[in-house]
Amino acid sequence: MADLKYIQSTCPYCGTGCSFNLVVSDGKVVGVSPYPRSPVNEGKLCPKGMYANEFINSPDRLTTPQIRKDGKLVPVSWDEATSFIAENLKKYKPSERCALSSARVSNEDNYAMMKFARGVLKTNHLDHCARLCHSSTVAGLAGSFGSGAMTNSIPDIAESKCVFIIGSNTFEQHPLIGRREYMAKAKGAHYIYADPRRTITASQADLFLQFHSGSDVALLNGLMHDIIKNGWEDKEFVEKRTKGYEELKALVMQERYNLENVGKVTGLTPEDIHTAADWIANSGGCALIYSMGITQHTVGVDNVHATANLQMLTGNLGKPGTGVNPLRGQNNVQGACDMGALPVNFSGYQKVTDPEMHKKFADAWGFPEDIAPTQNGYEVTIMMNVLVDNPGELKCMYIMGENPLMSDPDLNHVKEAFENIEFLVVQDIFYNETCDYADVILPAVCYAERDGTQTSTERRVIRWRKAQDAPGEALDDWQIISMVAAKMGYEKQFAWQSASEIFDEMASLTPQYHGMNYERLNTPEGLHWPCKTPEDPGTPILHKEKFLTPDGLGVFFPAEWKAPAEVPDEEYPFVFTTGRCLFHWHTGTMTRRSPTLDKEVPTGWIEINDEDAKALGINDGEMVHATTRRDTISVMARISPQIMKGTTFMPFHFAECAANLLTHNALDPVCKIPEYKACAIKITKIEEGQ
Amino acid sequence: MSAKGDMFYAWTAVPDIKGECGGAVTSILKYLLDSKIVDGVLTVQKGLDVFDAEPVVITDSADLAKTAGSLHCGTLLLPKLIKKYLNGAKDMKLAVTCKGCDAKAMYELAKRNQINLDNIVMVGLNCGGSVSPVVARNMISSQYGINPNDVVKEEIDKGQFIVMTKDGQHKGISIDELEEQGLGRRTNCQRCETKIPRQCDIVCGNWGVIGDKAGKATFVEICSDKGAMVFDGAVKAGVLETSAPNPKGLEIRGKIENVMIKMGKKNQEKQFAAIGEGTGGRLTYIMAETSRCIKCYGCIESCPICYCVECSTKKNHLVPSGRLPPDFMFQLIRFAHIADSCVNCGQCTDVCPMNIPNSLFMHAQQVELQKMFGHKPGMDMELPVLAFAEEADERARLNATGSDMIYENVFKE
Repeated sequence: MADLKYIQSTCPYCGTGCSFNLVVSDGKVVGVSPYPRSPVNEGKLCPKGMYANEFINSPDRLTTPQIRKDGKLVPVSWDEATSFIAENLKKYKPSERCALSSARVSNEDNYAMMKFARGVLKTNHLDHCARLCHSSTVAGLAGSFGSGAMTNSIPDIAESKCVFIIGSNTFEQHPLIGRREYMAKAKGAHYIYADPRRTITASQADLFLQFHSGSDVALLNGLMHDIIKNGWEDKEFVEKRTKGYEELKALVMQERYNLENVGKVTGLTPEDIHTAADWIANSGGCALIYSMGITQHTVGVDNVHATANLQMLTGNLGKPGTGVNPLRGQNNVQGACDMGALPVNFSGYQKVTDPEMHKKFADAWGFPEDIAPTQNGYEVTIMMNVLVDNPGELKCMYIMGENPLMSDPDLNHVKEAFENIEFLVVQDIFYNETCDYADVILPAVCYAERDGTQTSTERRVIRWRKAQDAPGEALDDWQIISMVAAKMGYEKQFAWQSASEIFDEMASLTPQYHGMNYERLNTPEGLHWPCKTPEDPGTPILHKEKFLTPDGLGVFFPAEWKAPAEVPDEEYPFVFTTGRCLFHWHTGTMTRRSPTLDKEVPTGWIEINDEDAKALGINDGEMVHATTRRDTISVMARISPQIMKGTTFMPFHFAECAANLLTHNALDPVCKIPEYKACAIKITKIEEGQ
Repeated sequence: MSAKGDMFYAWTAVPDIKGECGGAVTSILKYLLDSKIVDGVLTVQKGLDVFDAEPVVITDSADLAKTAGSLHCGTLLLPKLIKKYLNGAKDMKLAVTCKGCDAKAMYELAKRNQINLDNIVMVGLNCGGSVSPVVARNMISSQYGINPNDVVKEEIDKGQFIVMTKDGQHKGISIDELEEQGLGRRTNCQRCETKIPRQCDIVCGNWGVIGDKAGKATFVEICSDKGAMVFDGAVKAGVLETSAPNPKGLEIRGKIENVMIKMGKKNQEKQFAAIGEGTGGRLTYIMAETSRCIKCYGCIESCPICYCVECSTKKNHLVPSGRLPPDFMFQLIRFAHIADSCVNCGQCTDVCPMNIPNSLFMHAQQVELQKMFGHKPGMDMELPVLAFAEEADERARLNATGSDMIYENVFKE
């Protein structure tokens, strides 16, 4: 009949945090309709958002709990599943337990998992996929500014006089932020784009810096060298608002960072580097925008520090159109970090090792015994190493909404790690590659079937609103965790009846969220954290007068350039870099089940420079062998003049040609992020008959 | 018994109905629901604030009060929603409130058999143009110096965009002034000539309501037999009171309409001139702008002329899949299939994540095609210039004529 409802919600894909209307008819989501009122995306969407309804009612949705009995998955009741899980988890010591939370579920779900890990499992071995993407940011900017988050907000990027985009293919990965970059340009801003690949984002550039993957610190130090040499630094800002300048100056003014030497390392011309330095320093307001190209290196933290150094040097902070703007990937990775789904923090970045914080949370939660100790736990990349190098130390794992068997580096290493897990619980909306190793699989609700909040990359907390019921017996993630906790005797500590209640408990313990509640969040604008009191209107731009460090000063962390862990050599002559494509999301569980998106890009490819391809005798569309020291795969070649000679690229979404079989598990020593963006590869033509 | 062409001042006789000016539209919708002439009313209501116009299907007339009043930030197009989500009104009867663009879109969808217009009562609304919600808020903040969260009402009157705050503050700025700065109404609204959509069944607004009824009555013009029946029925049912319009008011209404049409034509000239001419000018400009396209399909999903199940833009041999930007063929397919019937609804520009002025390009072409072929889309059921033809059938037909004169056989009556 004439039954049509519009439920305003937020896109489940990337960290831009676009809003749209879910169109509901007869109790089911039937489409997505624009929501022009949203200040973030103004009714506009990328193809993923446009078709974000297509996977919701897929017949593949997990609908019942399952237990693996004699190697076969058997559907069971929630009661049996949760009892079985409780029984098994109790067998292990706290130090043997670990958990992976999810950057794709709500803040409430993440807070519940954090409380569960620390209060029930008594472990700090808690992490999530932020480790793999922006852990460099969180660690790096926390040191430089006292806060590891995007300093400005999405709308004010359009007011910039110069956008400097480095390591972010914004038009493909955060299209509605790419729009702001374009809007700045349309108003006359300079547009600098640094990437080894000439992507669609590059097509708008006034200055395209096609540089070698992994030479970021060299480039950034080179820019600072040129700026100081020409006296273009913001002396007042440096003097009044920073410390450590002399050390920075000493490092970047070394001859190794002059234009000519940096040109050699990066593959750029001295003129281009000089132009960039001029525009960044002298345009009257430069916004630096970065993403995985900066973070996913063994020097990820150094890269991040270098971006912060550059912006502090030029006074490009604390005003609209400026800032250091890391674009968080997942829709709620910012929130998952904020909620403390990390081995070193409670929610609000309050340290696990701080006895005061320990007491604050222990007292608030009221567990009968003490919670996890004041000792940092393992990051997910370290968990994988420990599982392989020291089998028996970690014995059981609880995973919510993550797929390490596709997303972690060096998948053979990951498989080995997972073989050594005795008891594994996986909670998700679809059966994925990680489920192959699960002892118990639990069906969860998706974004359209829940109330909750998510925090986008610009620290904006926004609402999800329930548009339809979940299929079968699927439940909210926080509800499932509460049920397991109850089976383990902790019903009291997990007694929430609604997502709103969880949010209120979390906000009472988390300074940045303290002034927020569901009523205040019931606006199209949401609220930017920090929002410390009920009257606080939120903070779109950070660091206006002071930084969030203890003394309010920004800190220069000078960094020497170091090459990636594995560079090309005679045997493996090309650089291998990985990334995303616009139409698919990460391990493909949702987008490959969306017919429109799947049809657009049905499978993966390896991008090879046309000159390189010619030398190898490889044609466009041909299957080739791509081999690194980790493994070899067959994948289709896409020949392109857009990628730098000597560099190859693969998207990581496709299980049948899984890029992460090839990637390197080399980690940044500080934040433990893998070097997805650079390792060494060889490409071989598959001769006929092979 | 009223008839097509009759005009009235009308206002509500229902005590709880408070409309924008007299509540006539809301009362007519109530009558249509209560008397079961329609199964539902498709209109817009205020969402989270006055800048948020939410499409809604009302089946209980008690819920109509929420939809009363004008929302100048209501920019969405309703007819495509009928095709997409209400089975084209093929198995239900609907009343729909229609701005000019909505009315035109209805006819184009009907021509293509995507909605059943017989099942729809089109309640037309005068429209001087709408403003995108975020633009409105930014405008109010920067030009009016008022916090948009304090605004409780907005309106467009006598060439001004006027806001009223919760503590009674009133401020208006000339639309022309705002539009000089790139603010104000959507650019397609600036170009629009369909201010009183008489292709509806009745058309309502406040232009021409003067004297003691000013602000308290709606000017209603009957535009069809269906409209006459509906109007008379509402009066007979006691929900509507009427009086003859003041002749001076009629004159004023005509004047306003003409001024706005002139303004629309002027803006067309200005905006079309800015995108150049010919292959060196206009085509080059279009190719440059569309090079930002990220294949979101928003233009196609929202366009009232687009309806193909297998869109040609999704055929790999025409537009290689997965490539960004898509081959220019993507845009050419849109132009070739749509341009003759573009009704300048502006949705394709509104939804584009890369700020490509799609409707400017499409409307510019439509205007040229109208000069060549004389076809004006959206006015009635006259079939479009372009028609879908199966190649085999068409070749057979041409063969059967025994002639090789294509022009004569295809274009002549």
